[in-house]
Amino acid sequence: MKIVVVDDSRVMRQIVIRTLRQAGEGGHDIVEAENGREALDAVETHSPDLVLSDWNMPEMSGIDLLDALRSRGNAVPFGFVTSEGSDDMRARAASSGASFLIAKPFTPEAFADAIATVKVA
Amino acid sequence: MTVLTEPSSFDVQAVVDEVWTTFLGGEPLVPVAPDFDPAGTFPGSRWDAAVTVSGAWHGLIVVSVNDAVAHAVTQAMLGLDDGDTAAHEDVVDALGELVNVIGGNIKSLMDGPSKLSLPLVAQAPIQAGGIVETCRLDLAWGSHRVWVTVGTRDEGGTS
Repeated sequence: MKIVVVDDSRVMRQIVIRTLRQAGEGGHDIVEAENGREALDAVETHSPDLVLSDWNMPEMSGIDLLDALRSRGNAVPFGFVTSEGSDDMRARAASSGASFLIAKPFTPEAFADAIATVKVA
Repeated sequence: MTVLTEPSSFDVQAVVDEVWTTFLGGEPLVPVAPDFDPAGTFPGSRWDAAVTVSGAWHGLIVVSVNDAVAHAVTQAMLGLDDGDTAAHEDVVDALGELVNVIGGNIKSLMDGPSKLSLPLVAQAPIQAGGIVETCRLDLAWGSHRVWVTVGTRDEGGTS
């Protein structure tokens, strides 16, 4: 799989990539983006199989990125990895077309379970 | 229905424990008796990382550590080897992400809707006007100290 990892924190992008490996998902091509706007370009350039995105970022938030992708007719599987996992945010993510929301702090098992749903779909 | 006006120390401790253990592993955080006066001299070179929550609940969450802990946290989060030194921008990034996750989880405990700010990190005390401290955790991480404070907007004496 080709995965775009979107987070304004380089530290968190490294943790996400490390956790993917720990979840047995280490063989993927990873493209990193610092915010939604960079990710929008990365998705168009790389045509990934999955986007893993933070929610709260400068320039363009994760939810704005998802809405922009869907408005362009791009149906790439999209999951949030965010520090806020309230019911309201999960509902908003789902209504915009997200496949899942992983709340920080997370475990490798949470990543494995979430990515399995995308692979099945 | 119970409306929370501030998060309990028990809940804040649970959030901090979970975040710390997940991202940093190793030594757990252990509550200790307060051993410095917040208004006095900070023990060591100080780093504060903070986020604010605004909306149905207004709060300020601050993590305070000294320089040694700031670098140790960064090394652990980035998976650096013992001999590697974290760059200043990575320390800012790591502490910001740490308080962002702690703050996001505390926000989820409170009534919404509300918005979490982007993190602010400084080598100085971070305070906000109109915010009163409602919870303070004094914690030991091995031989080091970690402080977490939660402030809530002063609603003019109502509780």
